[in-house]
Amino acid sequence: MTTGDGVRAPEVGDGVPVPASGVPVPAGVRTPEAGYGVGIGWRPEIAGFVADLPGLRFVEVIAESIPAAGPPPGLAELRERGVTVIPHGVRLSLGGADPVEPARVRQFARAAELLDAPLASEHIAFVRAGGIEAGHLLPLPRTREAVDAVVGNVARVRAELSVPLALEPIAAIFDWPDDELDEADFLTEILDRTGALLLLDIANVYANARNRGADPLDLLDRLPLERVGYVHVAGGAASDGIYHDTHTDPVPPEVLDLVAELSARHRPPALLLERDGHYPPAATLRAELDAIAAASGYPRVT
Amino acid sequence: MTDETRPADRPRSRNDRSSRAGAAGTLADRQAALVAALVAGAPLPPGFDARLVGVARSALLHKRAGEVARHWPLLAAGHGRSWRAVFAAWAAERPTSGSVRDGWDLARHLAAEEALPAPAAEELAVREAGWRYDGHTPPRRRRLPALRRAGNVLVVQFAGRVRIWTAPGSTNPKIDSASPGS
Repeated sequence: MTTGDGVRAPEVGDGVPVPASGVPVPAGVRTPEAGYGVGIGWRPEIAGFVADLPGLRFVEVIAESIPAAGPPPGLAELRERGVTVIPHGVRLSLGGADPVEPARVRQFARAAELLDAPLASEHIAFVRAGGIEAGHLLPLPRTREAVDAVVGNVARVRAELSVPLALEPIAAIFDWPDDELDEADFLTEILDRTGALLLLDIANVYANARNRGADPLDLLDRLPLERVGYVHVAGGAASDGIYHDTHTDPVPPEVLDLVAELSARHRPPALLLERDGHYPPAATLRAELDAIAAASGYPRVT
Repeated sequence: MTDETRPADRPRSRNDRSSRAGAAGTLADRQAALVAALVAGAPLPPGFDARLVGVARSALLHKRAGEVARHWPLLAAGHGRSWRAVFAAWAAERPTSGSVRDGWDLARHLAAEEALPAPAAEELAVREAGWRYDGHTPPRRRRLPALRRAGNVLVVQFAGRVRIWTAPGSTNPKIDSASPGS
C-alpha cells in the first residue's frame, strides 16, 4: 500500500530506475530513464489493446467507473503485472461553490485504495450547480472567490484521500466575464494553496491558446513545471471556428510539438494518451503512443 | 477539515468587485445561472460571449448524444444520420439525468409520439420488461415478471431472464402499456 506522502517501493524490476509514484523527485535524483514514461487511458473498449502493450508501466482510469467491489478484470490483470493505475475523477466538481458531496469523495478515495494508486487526479472545474448537472467540465471564473472554493474542496477531498492529488486545468471554450487573475496566476495560486500536483493537459493548453489567439508557450513558461505529476495528451478537431478537445480525433502535430517543448523545459515523469471514443485501428493508436514517446524522449511502450 | 469559510456562506460587499453585470451574485448563484443557461434553456447571464457559449452548448449536446448512443445503440442507429439532431432537439433544454435515463426518457417520448423506429422500440421494450423506471429516480430491476410488446415483437421477462418472440400479425408500433407484473 501507499504511504501518505505517495512514496512506495518500485514494482517494476526491469533495472530501469522507477520513481515510486508519479510524483516528481528532487532535481539530480531523476535520471533520463526515470518516470513512468508513456501510458494510456484505460477504457473497457480498448482493454485488449492496452493489455497487449509490452512496455506499459501506467494507465489511468475514470475513478467513477471503479465499483466498490474492486477494479474490473482487465484492470486487475494490469495491476498484477505491476502496471500502475491512477484514478481520474470527473464528477467531484472541485470548483463548485458548494462543498464536494461526501459520498463522491468516499468513492474517489476508495478507488485510489482499491487500485493501490500512488496518486489520484481531478479537474479544476465544476460540473453541477443549483441542483443541475452540466454533463461536462465547466470553467471557473478566475477569481479569488473561485480559488477559495477549489481550496476548500481540495481540503475536503484530501481529508479522505490517502495519496497525493493532482489537479488538471481544463479546456474551456468560453471565459467568464469578470476574471481577476490570468490563467497562470489562477493555477499557480491554487497549486500553492492546496499543495496539489499539476496534471497538465498539454492538449488543453493548445486548445485554450489557439482559441484565444495566444501563444501556448507563454503559459508553459509561467507554470510551475516542477509540480507536474503527469501529463495528458489528446486529440481534437476544429469546427465552428473553434478547436475542440474531443479525445475522439487524432493528436495533431501541434500538440506533439508542445510535448517536445514541455519536455525540453522540464520533462514530466509520465505522459498519458487520452482516447474516449471513435477508436482507431490498433496500428494508429500505437503510432500515436510512439509519437508521444518520440516527442518526450521516453522509450516506446508498443 | 480546514477552517476555511465556505465561499457561498461568506458575506461580502458587492462594492468590492467589478461593477460589471457578470460579477453580480455569489459564486454559487453565478454557477447555477450559467449551468441553467447552458442546459436548461435559461437566459445567458450578462457579460458572456453568447456565440462561444452557444458553441459549448452544441459541443455538449454532441457529446451527450454519443454517450446516449453507447447505452441505447438501437435508438441511435434507428435514426441514422439524424440521430444527433433528434437528440439535440429533445435534449437542448433538458439537463442530463445520466446517459441511461436520457435515452430512456427520449425513447418513451418518441414512443408516445409514435415516432420510435422499430428496432429502438424493441430495445425499449426489453428495458421496460427488465427494469422498473418511474422517470424520476434511477431504474430498478424488476422482481416480478413483465410483458412488453413493441410492434410485432413480444418481450417477456421472468426471473430476470428476458425472452423475445416475434409475433406475426401485430402491427402496433406503440409500446404496450401493461403494468409490470401483469
